[in-house]
Amino acid sequence: MKRIIFGLFVSALFLITACNKDKNKDEFDKAALLQNFADNIIQPRYADFKTKIDSLEILFITFQSNPTEAKFEAIKTQWKACYLSFQCVKTFDFGPAMNTGFKGAIGTFPSDTTQISSNIASGTYNLATATNADAVGLAALDFLFYQTDAYLKLTTNESYSQYCIDVIQKMKEETDAVVNAWTSFKSTFIASTGNESTSMFSMLVNDFCQDWEEAKAAKLGIPLGKYSLGIQRPEYIEARYSGYSLPILKASLSSIAEIYSGTGTNGQDGIGFDDYLISLKKESLNSTIKDNFRVIDSNFYDFNTNLENELTQNPTALENLFNAISQQVVFIKTDMTASFGILITYQDNDGD
Amino acid sequence: MLIGTSRFILNGWVQKLYIEPRFFFPFLGFEWVKPLPGNWMFLPFVLLFVSALFFMLGFFYRIASVILFLSFTYIELLDKTNYLNHYYFVSLVAFLMLFLPANRYCSLDAQLNLTPKQVLVSKWNIGILKFQLGIVYVFAGIAKLNSDWLFDANPLKIWLQAHHHLPLVGKFLQQEWVAFAFSWTGCVYDLFIVIFLFNKYTRPFAYIFVVLFHLITWYLFPIGVFPWVMIFSTLIFFSPNFHERILQFIMKEKMQPLSQKLLPTFNKKIVSSALILFVSFQILVPFRYLAYDGDLFWHEQGFRFSWRVMLMHKEGYGRFFVVDSKTKREMELPQQQFLTPIQLDQMLTQPDMILQYSQLLYKEYNGKTLVFGNEKIKLVQPEIQAEIYVTLNGRPSQLFVRKGKNLVTIKNDLKNRTWLEEFKK
Repeated sequence: MKRIIFGLFVSALFLITACNKDKNKDEFDKAALLQNFADNIIQPRYADFKTKIDSLEILFITFQSNPTEAKFEAIKTQWKACYLSFQCVKTFDFGPAMNTGFKGAIGTFPSDTTQISSNIASGTYNLATATNADAVGLAALDFLFYQTDAYLKLTTNESYSQYCIDVIQKMKEETDAVVNAWTSFKSTFIASTGNESTSMFSMLVNDFCQDWEEAKAAKLGIPLGKYSLGIQRPEYIEARYSGYSLPILKASLSSIAEIYSGTGTNGQDGIGFDDYLISLKKESLNSTIKDNFRVIDSNFYDFNTNLENELTQNPTALENLFNAISQQVVFIKTDMTASFGILITYQDNDGD
Repeated sequence: MLIGTSRFILNGWVQKLYIEPRFFFPFLGFEWVKPLPGNWMFLPFVLLFVSALFFMLGFFYRIASVILFLSFTYIELLDKTNYLNHYYFVSLVAFLMLFLPANRYCSLDAQLNLTPKQVLVSKWNIGILKFQLGIVYVFAGIAKLNSDWLFDANPLKIWLQAHHHLPLVGKFLQQEWVAFAFSWTGCVYDLFIVIFLFNKYTRPFAYIFVVLFHLITWYLFPIGVFPWVMIFSTLIFFSPNFHERILQFIMKEKMQPLSQKLLPTFNKKIVSSALILFVSFQILVPFRYLAYDGDLFWHEQGFRFSWRVMLMHKEGYGRFFVVDSKTKREMELPQQQFLTPIQLDQMLTQPDMILQYSQLLYKEYNGKTLVFGNEKIKLVQPEIQAEIYVTLNGRPSQLFVRKGKNLVTIKNDLKNRTWLEEFKK
């Protein structure tokens, strides 16, 4: 009898191997993907942001000792550069960034301008508390640098100027903490290639999708009125005072497109999600995703002015952009993530 | 059960699954089953733990088994989100055990003389347990007789390649032929293992297969205590002699036939009718999907309670909209406003849950006045719409629910789900 069982088992295997001619399937190495990400994308991007924040601090300190309009312009330019650079790092909300609440601390918006003003008026504040969660970060500087009479306030009100440097230095500290932590975290990151929801690979993919959705909802959808019965909410526009929200949105979307391809900060195409999909024989999905990224990028040539103006002048173009971004969510969040076999949850599971 | 419950509590799952969620998805006909407020939800688990302990020791067995069955089934009836085939199995076995005299020998009850000692039981006592176990295997096997499983090796192909980080076998698991081998072997195993377990010559070898199969699945997939439950439950197929030897070892005495006559338990006629009823139910329920049009994996009418284990990888992405019926202005709802991530994940691919969620949203928004800046809008009998895309077993996403339909008007019943989009294979 035991021979019969054994025989059945072996013949089943034979049948399958005989029927299946796929001998040369590409093996995909997730660790190599994570290595590429760590070496050429994540760490360099963090380093770039750190450089920019460090410069911002120096520029501001120099300004404080001897303020001129020209120096102020330089600060604002540097602040914009920081904001764009931040779009390239906020995606990685796992590991050190997650542990320190980096993303929220630097990128929260819209700012609580009342809280900021009251902090400045009182002169005493602790920026680390929950009350001040929306009174810090790059968005706070948007208000501080671009509200009416900002230059006047900076040069005449010492408390105002102090608040700015405090906000900047807080961001600098937080950035340093994450950059330093990554030296030891890197090896943990690269080794964690499983498909369980707590693996670094899963978190990377999930954060990737989430970042895209945040761009869709927070940066565009909410101001456009998509979540408020069609009533536009310009008060929720990111970087409203500077009017810089469209470049920020574009940078965020481009950052995601580059992460998808595994493109490093040096512009070279490395191992990315596109390669993983190709190895899983999902070439058409990959093409669709890439094409959508291109289309979305080209939509930005429709805009001449800032988001607030475009809301009234050109809402249809914004609608089109929103729909294109929405459509892409299905492909990356459902198709791509499902293809990778990533589990959403850590519960016991019997399928699905 | 004891280990399972402790694990459940220690992992914080009572909190995550039964205390934190705002809403729950009750089963059809069981909408009256509601969770206890706040931390009271620990009570059923404590009851479950204690009753499982007593059950295991055979102490106050009858009461313990009733409490075990009731508390476990209560917990499972609370939310469809947490439905698992092996929980259904536990409920069924707990139900059966209510009627079986499992405390008559190697138990505290017997030792303390709380119950008459007995060494012999009616054949049906053991038979029904073997039957139940057999049903699980055979139907799991039948469920695997579908084209995705056999000809595309899906969803195993998707799940196995994700394990490429495992030492030695990692690279192996990415090969397509391995996915096919696993799929076909799994199917053959499920369909035929029971036959080999019945025959006393093949039984030991079959059991080795059982252990191997469950160890492998336990290692590769997150299925909790189920493999262990199956490994130990399958011992029921071994002969009385085998179990006698184990009991002798535990009890350190030889089992003597204490009385020649079986102690009367139930009326023979009632027993036969009940058995026939139970058996027919177990055989017919998994086949109810045949009464419906369309693809079972897509519309899921008849998917639960039919031992379809690890059978599909189905993920959805959906956007829900509240539409003001007067102005037709719409509003997309933020993704996770009312449901936990797990509930959201389960709801998007299961049509009955989609309808239940729509009802919840309707209750939430009907009559509500929304304020945006300077404008106020009162929602009166709003429509709830959704646009949901679903990917099934690696296929590209397809439209599952089309935007434009007012989901509140669709009745959640046992009829064909014609409101879903057509499935394109």
